Amino acid sequence: MSKRVDPGLLNELKQFGDVPIEACFNCGNCTAVCPLSTDETPFPRNNIRRIQVGLKEDILHSPDPWLCYYCGDCSATCPREAEPAEAQMTLRRWLTAQYDWTGLGRLFYTSPAWEVISVLITAVLVVLAFIVFHGPMVTGQVELNTFAPVDMIHLLDWVMAGLLSFFLLTNVARMHHFIIRKGTDAQVPLVLYITEAWQLAYNFVTQERFSKCDEKRPWINHLILVSGYVTMLVLILFLLPWFQTDNIYPFWHPQRWVGYYATIALIYGAGAALWGRFKKIRQMHRFSHLSDWLFPILLLIGAVTGILVHLFRYLGLPLATYTIYVIHLSMMVPMLVIEVPFGKWAHLAYRPLAIYFQRVKELAVEQQARKERLASSGA
Amino acid sequence: MSEIEQNQTPPSEGQEEPRIAVYTCYCGGNISEVVDCEKVAEAVSKLPNVVISRTDMSMCSDAGQALIEQDIKEHGVNRVIVGACAPSLHETTFRGAVTRAGLNPYLYHHVGIREQDSWVHHNDPEGASEKAIRLLSAGIAKSRMLEPLESIKLDAEKHALIIGGGVAGLRAALDIARRGIKASLIEKTPFIGGRMAQLETTFPVDEPAREALGGLIDRVVEHPNITIYTQAELVGLHGYVGDFHATIRQDQRGVSEDIADAAMAACEIEVPDEFNYGLTTRKVIYRAYDGCYPSTPAVDWANCPDGRLELTLDGKPVVLENRPETIDLTVGAIVVATGFDLYEPREGEYGYGILPEVITLPQFIRLLALNGDAPLEWNGRRVKNIAAIHCVGSREVDGIHEPHEDGSLNEYCSRICCSALLHTLNVVKDRYPDINVYDAYEDIRTYGRGHEDLYIKASHQAVRFLRFHNEERPTVNRENGDQPLLTLNDYLTWGEEIEVPVDLVVLAVGVKPRAIDDIISMLKISKGSDSFLAEVHPKLRPVETAVPGIVLAGTAQGPMNIQESSAAASAAAAKVSVLLGTGEVELEPFVAVVNHDLCDGTGACVEVCCYEDAIALETVTVNGAEVQRAVVTPANCVGCGVCVSACPNLAIDVQGWTLAQYEAMIDAIVGELPTLEAAR
Repeated sequence: MSKRVDPGLLNELKQFGDVPIEACFNCGNCTAVCPLSTDETPFPRNNIRRIQVGLKEDILHSPDPWLCYYCGDCSATCPREAEPAEAQMTLRRWLTAQYDWTGLGRLFYTSPAWEVISVLITAVLVVLAFIVFHGPMVTGQVELNTFAPVDMIHLLDWVMAGLLSFFLLTNVARMHHFIIRKGTDAQVPLVLYITEAWQLAYNFVTQERFSKCDEKRPWINHLILVSGYVTMLVLILFLLPWFQTDNIYPFWHPQRWVGYYATIALIYGAGAALWGRFKKIRQMHRFSHLSDWLFPILLLIGAVTGILVHLFRYLGLPLATYTIYVIHLSMMVPMLVIEVPFGKWAHLAYRPLAIYFQRVKELAVEQQARKERLASSGA
Repeated sequence: MSEIEQNQTPPSEGQEEPRIAVYTCYCGGNISEVVDCEKVAEAVSKLPNVVISRTDMSMCSDAGQALIEQDIKEHGVNRVIVGACAPSLHETTFRGAVTRAGLNPYLYHHVGIREQDSWVHHNDPEGASEKAIRLLSAGIAKSRMLEPLESIKLDAEKHALIIGGGVAGLRAALDIARRGIKASLIEKTPFIGGRMAQLETTFPVDEPAREALGGLIDRVVEHPNITIYTQAELVGLHGYVGDFHATIRQDQRGVSEDIADAAMAACEIEVPDEFNYGLTTRKVIYRAYDGCYPSTPAVDWANCPDGRLELTLDGKPVVLENRPETIDLTVGAIVVATGFDLYEPREGEYGYGILPEVITLPQFIRLLALNGDAPLEWNGRRVKNIAAIHCVGSREVDGIHEPHEDGSLNEYCSRICCSALLHTLNVVKDRYPDINVYDAYEDIRTYGRGHEDLYIKASHQAVRFLRFHNEERPTVNRENGDQPLLTLNDYLTWGEEIEVPVDLVVLAVGVKPRAIDDIISMLKISKGSDSFLAEVHPKLRPVETAVPGIVLAGTAQGPMNIQESSAAASAAAAKVSVLLGTGEVELEPFVAVVNHDLCDGTGACVEVCCYEDAIALETVTVNGAEVQRAVVTPANCVGCGVCVSACPNLAIDVQGWTLAQYEAMIDAIVGELPTLEAAR
């Protein structure tokens, strides 16, 4: 079956990351040096080639860009300086926009103005919501839960989580459709999804694949960042009444230590990412798209403002506490609303899912082949 | 030994005793790795008259040649033999060494023991060594009988004829003229400049083609030694180097400058314009392009009914008629710069001739030139996607490609198309960055200096390269009236069959030998197996033909780009200048000589001779009686020896290769010789 190319693909991708993909002359050094590339799933040359030629569907149906963790060995050894690693990064942005059915992802990735203005508008809306709906501002002492009643905030958290999950899950469904439905002719039995489900959780938690890059430091930094982020997510979604309290716990109390850990991990992780990008320390830091800056910046601001809320409350500064709390939410909400289903946050879902889908697909193909062998030998 | 001595022909009276030096060359191992050179040298050293027998790693080196000179001077050597490569490579080298030492150059004899021995018998070292001894023994037998010869000297007309007014012909004419030799340039079409005039820019430096060509044309036109004949063809030739008699037929230009523009306006007959490869039409009174030379328009007689053109000028009927003139020129040398033809794809080859979107690269170059900076449209549609295909009509393979009408295949690489195509695609991307360009190739051969940059630039300008295998060539088809699709298995995409929707397909057509059989037969030059004109030796005599005084310039000889054509033309001009510079030409003395004591005028030799005016019966006076005797014109004789075999009286011999010498060589080859065993 011949495949129709889309000659416009290269230019389309350039909107997601201006990398000199056209310089590639298909030597394959990148695939040869990649520590993550395997005989079964060789990359990144294959996707570079698909971009060059315009095999849009093949890229859309490929999980490969998510299997790359940007150690950058390929870019470092590329004889044509075609930046294959950044091409994978660009593809991840493009795929995020492709999975997203609303079109917002494409808009945010291709237009910095749209992305920044959307973040700002969301932030302003949060501030406005507080101006209009906030509770009584007790000034004699810090009463955050009177200013912003925790039950109300918790409820709104869940409403937002529900809404964002809806968008994210529908995008995940499209990802599944592209990678499994379109990406293989093999029938995938339901049981495989169940027996392999542990892959999803395991890879989400450990990011084990990242650790297979030669340099371990980026993986460890990333692991710390994710641990802080997930801790904070659990605190906010499930334990908010315990976490956002006007009680002052003693120093040894786990509420304080869990919070401190998450905060330090977030500041360290996001800070390391930003510092790396600022100093262009590693291959992965050499090119920075706006979305690469925005996500860690919002995370960092969120962590810093979060700990300031804690600090001001302990210092007994009511107005400062309420103000910084509003600022905190005015950064965290847009970070989640813009980035979770439509932006860089989505990689938290797509990366482990890609490994999971790839595994399920491989097993299904194997099973099908075995069945066919049996059938033909039986005949 | 005694037998050999008996077989030996004694030196003729008055001739000094032969003192032969034999050198067996290792050829850097080419010979010595098969042939045991030391034993060969030892074996031949025992043959009579051999006073020196040596071996050397490389006789053609300066040291090797100096050795010969030294032996001649110090040991009284008067015959020299080198057993080495083929005589076509280094016979002249060693003749030079012998001459420098004061010996007649024709007392040197060359024996080929590389091409004729070590290379072909590499599996049989012992046999090869014995063969070397036999070949050298034969050479020694001939050497004993060699006599000093003098080269033939002929008066030469200091005037060259250049056939073809393209860049090679112009370059050759100018170079010859600047050395003080008259040059007559004949061009078949009404305008000089050839195919270079059709280019916008040239690679690899992106120079405007017309500027460079215009500069050359100006210098040619201005040079007092050059005469240009347009609409002129060679129709007859006889004579020999230094004294060729050429007959030129020249058409009338048809219109004079004063009525030219009015006549062009009045002319109503339009024909496809070959200058634009049929993309446009022109009148039959025309200029090839603005600024062409000569600037006076010409009548295209071939496209006028009955060779006449009827016009109404100022209300009066005017009839233009062609009255061709004949011009006779006497020239000392001829430069063949007849150029090339382009491969015309078959109907249906990649959709050519069926889909209007499929055009050739030369057409595309003209299309871009005509289009200028306007948006590129073709066939009524804005061009967004272009596909180009390499090697169309080049590197054809038996069993994959259909042979041409004459059964031939263009098996050669046309050499210019890869760089020309990439250069043109770069022009497209410079001018229209939004056009997507796909380039389907089998191999990319940007071999020249600076040409690889064309590939790199194209690559950086996002020309998408697709690679096919020869046996799975791309197809171009149209589905349901839509855009045409280029379909191929792309080996850079792991053999995936991909389809590219395109608005224009550009076929990089190859270079074909031009159909000039009439000129070839007039000049008696020969074609190679690829039907391009053949040189004498591809490496050492790359612009000379087998006919003395006739040299090749440019693409008549094979695919070349402008740079290579110019280089070849300058080389051809240098050869002509050396040949005619002294007003005298020198030929090798290996021609037939008639012994009039034995000749009785049978005329058998004249009947069998294949060469015009080489041998004829003439009336001479012998012992007071007028008789017919064969007389050789040395300039026309090639020394083939056919006459020798035909003569019933054995009255003819070829100097330097006499029957007696042949007999001695054959006796030596078949006779009993000192074998390796004997040598041990």
